[in-house]
Amino acid sequence: MTESDLVAKPRPTITEENRPFWDSARAGELRLQRCGSCHHVRHPIQALCPVCLVDEFEWALMSGRGSVFAKVVYHRAFHPAYRDDVPYNVVIVQLDEGPRLFSNVVGVESSELEVGDRLAVFFDVVDAELTVPRFRATDPGES
Amino acid sequence: MTEIAIVGVGLTPQGSLPGSTNLSLQTDAFKLALADAGLEKSQIDGVVTEPGTTDMHWALDYLRFSRAVGINPAFTGSFAMGGATAGALVQLAAMAVQSGKADYVACVFGDAAKTGKKRPLLAAGGALGTEAANNGAWGAYGATTWSGLTASRHMALYGTTTEQLGEVAVAARGHAVLNPMAMMRSPITLADHQSSRMIVEPFRLLDCCLVSDGGACLIVTSVERARDLRPTVVRIAGSGQGFTSQDHECDQWWYGPHQKDAVDRAYAEAGVGPADVDVAQLYDNFTISTILWLEHAGFCGVGEGGAYVEGGRISLGGQLPVNTHGGHLSAGHPQGWWTVAEGVHQLRGEAGDRQVEGAEVCLTTGRGLVLNTASALVLTGDA
Repeated sequence: MTESDLVAKPRPTITEENRPFWDSARAGELRLQRCGSCHHVRHPIQALCPVCLVDEFEWALMSGRGSVFAKVVYHRAFHPAYRDDVPYNVVIVQLDEGPRLFSNVVGVESSELEVGDRLAVFFDVVDAELTVPRFRATDPGES
Repeated sequence: MTEIAIVGVGLTPQGSLPGSTNLSLQTDAFKLALADAGLEKSQIDGVVTEPGTTDMHWALDYLRFSRAVGINPAFTGSFAMGGATAGALVQLAAMAVQSGKADYVACVFGDAAKTGKKRPLLAAGGALGTEAANNGAWGAYGATTWSGLTASRHMALYGTTTEQLGEVAVAARGHAVLNPMAMMRSPITLADHQSSRMIVEPFRLLDCCLVSDGGACLIVTSVERARDLRPTVVRIAGSGQGFTSQDHECDQWWYGPHQKDAVDRAYAEAGVGPADVDVAQLYDNFTISTILWLEHAGFCGVGEGGAYVEGGRISLGGQLPVNTHGGHLSAGHPQGWWTVAEGVHQLRGEAGDRQVEGAEVCLTTGRGLVLNTASALVLTGDA
């Protein structure tokens, strides 16, 4: 995906709750919410810990290392802004720290990407306001 | 405990019905179900509805329907559990009858999803709120996303193949060919499946369900009352629901552990197991769904669903005929409602060319939303 392609695409709705996630991405960091009581790292972003129901948390720095948990390759653009991108992949990334999240793996043929492949985060600068965490495949030795 | 029956089935034509609305399809189905049961509308004292997929969050659906058909029910409400709703509403209706809150409960659905109002363009799961809608930042759009992710992992862990997915599509189409109401009535081969265009890998076009307009209504009452209305009574011998409310937070979510829970609960209540099931109607929004249900319902082990569907095992005449109407893949998509209706038709012996001879026990299942919801019914005939 190139920068110009991404401009017209749907942008995340930034809320007080998720702003630190997107601000961290702009700073080149992947941060998720870690419960202040039971230390569970949660995702998707929400107000309370789904394990122990405590509200207090910190935005914990993730290593950005993980693997492909599941993947799909879109050959049809359900959103017209992605028409020029097909075929493109969407993966669930299994982070080494435990949480799972949606992302894209860039720099590989989508059809060659396999469940279990090792990944590392990088920060795709869309424009001055938006940076999106995406992933690159890494050699097993690198991670 | 009072034994419960499905006494009336109403199924409108399913397909492309220009000019229809969610409400017109509901009321058409209701009239058909009343006629099927031999009931007057004044006898219906319970109404539970599923809002159409184009109005999924519309909580006032029950009121609009009752108003249109001039009913003041003693028990009512609307549920939105995606493809699990039909089974869940039949369960709710059975509980209402069992507890004496109502005598005849109409479960109603109508959806002009093909020619009517369009569904909003939301990211995958976006109906659940802002964070899920933000999945659009990674291009995750379309209902195909969730089951596609599931299929990719099932294929990676268990060696399930695209040809095995194709076997499911071919079996469903073979049944649709025998069903005069089905949308897709031309036979297909495994080669047709393999050459159909890729939609969301690993799914080709023929791995995906249809979109259709259509309505359905099921009327639930006691077996005792049903006996006065019909020569053959179809019992709700067991029912169950199951939920995995979280997605990324649950490491087994992709596999749908709640689907096994729902089936196990229905089996336990009915006092049956997989070996007792003669015919199964398993919610097939995608071909992988049928394979998962076969595992969840204990017809084969975890990871063995792909091999199970080979060799015509789920076709009419096979070991376990599945989706004898043609399923969501080839008959039509009144999400989960035709599944239950077909179960009733099979147990009444009214399934025509697709009748499973001597069918006495039918399992029907539903799954929905972001792979969160499941329902199951064990229906038994009058033998």
